[in-house]
Amino acid sequence: MSAWLEARIARADDNTTGQSWLAAKRQESLELLRESAWPTRKTEAWKYTPLRSLQGFSCGAVGTAAVVDKIDDLNSIDLVFVDGNFDTEQLSVELPEGLSVTRLADADRATQAWAAKRFACIKPERHLFGLVNDVLFSDGVIIDVAAGCTIHQPVRVVQQLSEGAEAHTRVLVRLGEGAKAAVIEQCDGNSESFNTLVAEYQISAKAELEHYRFAFQVDKAMSVGGCHFDLAERAQLNSTLVGFGSTLSRVDVDIHHGGEHTFAKFNAIYLLDGRELFDLHATVEHANPNGRTIENIRCIIADHAKAVFNGRIHIHRDAQKVLAELNNRNLLLSDHAEINTKPELEIYADDVKCAHGATIAAMDEQALYYLQSRGVDRSKAQVMLSFGFINELVDQMPNQILAEWLRPQLRQRFSQMEVS
Amino acid sequence: MLKVKDLHASVEDKAILKGLSLNIKAGEVHAIMGPNGAGKSTLGYVLSGREGYSVEGGSAELDGKDILDMEADERACAGLFLAFQYPVEIPGVSNLEFLKASLDAQRKMQGVEPLTATEILKMARAACKQVHLPIEFLKRGVNEGFSGGEKKRNEILQMLMLQPKLCILDESDSGLDIDALQVVAEGVNSQRSPDRSFLIVTHYQRLLDYIKPDFVHVLADGKIVKSGGPELALELEENGYGWLNNSAYEGQNA
Repeated sequence: MSAWLEARIARADDNTTGQSWLAAKRQESLELLRESAWPTRKTEAWKYTPLRSLQGFSCGAVGTAAVVDKIDDLNSIDLVFVDGNFDTEQLSVELPEGLSVTRLADADRATQAWAAKRFACIKPERHLFGLVNDVLFSDGVIIDVAAGCTIHQPVRVVQQLSEGAEAHTRVLVRLGEGAKAAVIEQCDGNSESFNTLVAEYQISAKAELEHYRFAFQVDKAMSVGGCHFDLAERAQLNSTLVGFGSTLSRVDVDIHHGGEHTFAKFNAIYLLDGRELFDLHATVEHANPNGRTIENIRCIIADHAKAVFNGRIHIHRDAQKVLAELNNRNLLLSDHAEINTKPELEIYADDVKCAHGATIAAMDEQALYYLQSRGVDRSKAQVMLSFGFINELVDQMPNQILAEWLRPQLRQRFSQMEVS
Repeated sequence: MLKVKDLHASVEDKAILKGLSLNIKAGEVHAIMGPNGAGKSTLGYVLSGREGYSVEGGSAELDGKDILDMEADERACAGLFLAFQYPVEIPGVSNLEFLKASLDAQRKMQGVEPLTATEILKMARAACKQVHLPIEFLKRGVNEGFSGGEKKRNEILQMLMLQPKLCILDESDSGLDIDALQVVAEGVNSQRSPDRSFLIVTHYQRLLDYIKPDFVHVLADGKIVKSGGPELALELEENGYGWLNNSAYEGQNA
């Protein structure tokens, strides 16, 4: 372990009021953490993502984060965490039938009974920052959708961080059998801060989850977290990740096909500028037959930014008839930009269909000229082509209100990214 | 409208245009013919401002304005349009979005109010109809998966929308069947007007059966070696370009 972590563990005991039912889990994770080596440049999973900036970070004076903007027309149920603490004031709407939101500290015995079983079990056991979060989380929510219920209002979990803040928050989501819901995770912040947001999703048989993670922390706002999904028989996941980079941004996505005839679609877009870093590790485990995975990862990297993508699909021996596709495309806008991409297929079953590929390209000069020859100036043409590169994935977002909300933000981002 | 004087241009240090002069008045249609490698496409690229083509000497003016120092987009906004021989595919950017961006940019530069989305859509639909492209093509990626003929018709569609002053058609007839050729020709003919000029680059007389030029020029080895009326195109069709190597002609040209 690192000195950084030791210091935090020493402090952590004060903020676990009402969560004693999770004490055993925390203890287990702490032991695992103590056994784990802190990553160095020689650690494969952290080879391109140094934790230097994190080690230099110390919790400073905590300011007050602003009230989160509503997304027009989305009509979402907003769960806001300000500097790691759930802000009950900002949950103003009445919850629809079939949906319950419980703060970890307020969980009743019945909720505790099932949540304790699932808690920290959906994410992989040795997930480093998952363990850190297990040990350090100060607040969190349990979102439960009753079997057979369709929740039309998306649930949006927003992490807001002010300067100097450090937040370890936790989300546990259960979709009962045949339930349908949409959950959005959003991280905001641009000043020096650090968060580890870990979300775990149990998608029961025949349930359908629409999921988004907007990793919008930029500049010095650091974030290392993950979203982890467990799909039971005939469960479906449609997930979209959109990320900007920062000093340190890392997301680990794990999709576990725990039943047969499961379907998972994961699209990711990340757009990096300056000296930002974004690291996406996506792992798909096909432990059962007849599952299907489609992954599309697109990344645009400008200036001196650095992108890391590691996409692993692991098909277990008994997971016959699995269909899996992984496609990673990268657009480099500068000679100094860097992408480290590694798609991996590990297949032990003999009757499966899998494909994977990664491409890296520069901005198409011919296309730029074509646009310019019609009157569009070069910088606008670059924005249009960048947009064109990822548009398909934005169009595929199941919630088009969210896509419309996203587009101007992406456009704004593109207009800042210089081609050189 | 277009005045090109003694234009010299090269690509990767290879001289392609070697003193080309051309004068096109408003309302005129000029055709440029010539053998492969004469510099026909280069002329279009140099005039439209493609990167990688360096001008070594001479001048080119559009409506009295020197265009050689302008960026490609500024030339377009000044009224120059090049219909590409090989239109570029741009997946992810829809045809309509592309048209809107072009119109918005040109109108902004010209200091005219932008058109509303509805107005643009209406114009685009009419233009689609005129070039026989289904309206669904507006939603598709620019030229993405279009056939050769569809790409050429899409160029004409853009020309109809943008209403340029000078249209350069770079082998807009290549790879077209007779029906598509007629569509392209009709598109051009519908745009002929006293204040618009055309420069048609072609290998074959065929297109000129449909678009009657006022003048025909022969481009060989980087310059115009012969000019005449429409009858020159027929002559070329009959005799080919073999006479270019003829020593008598060389003398005349010198």
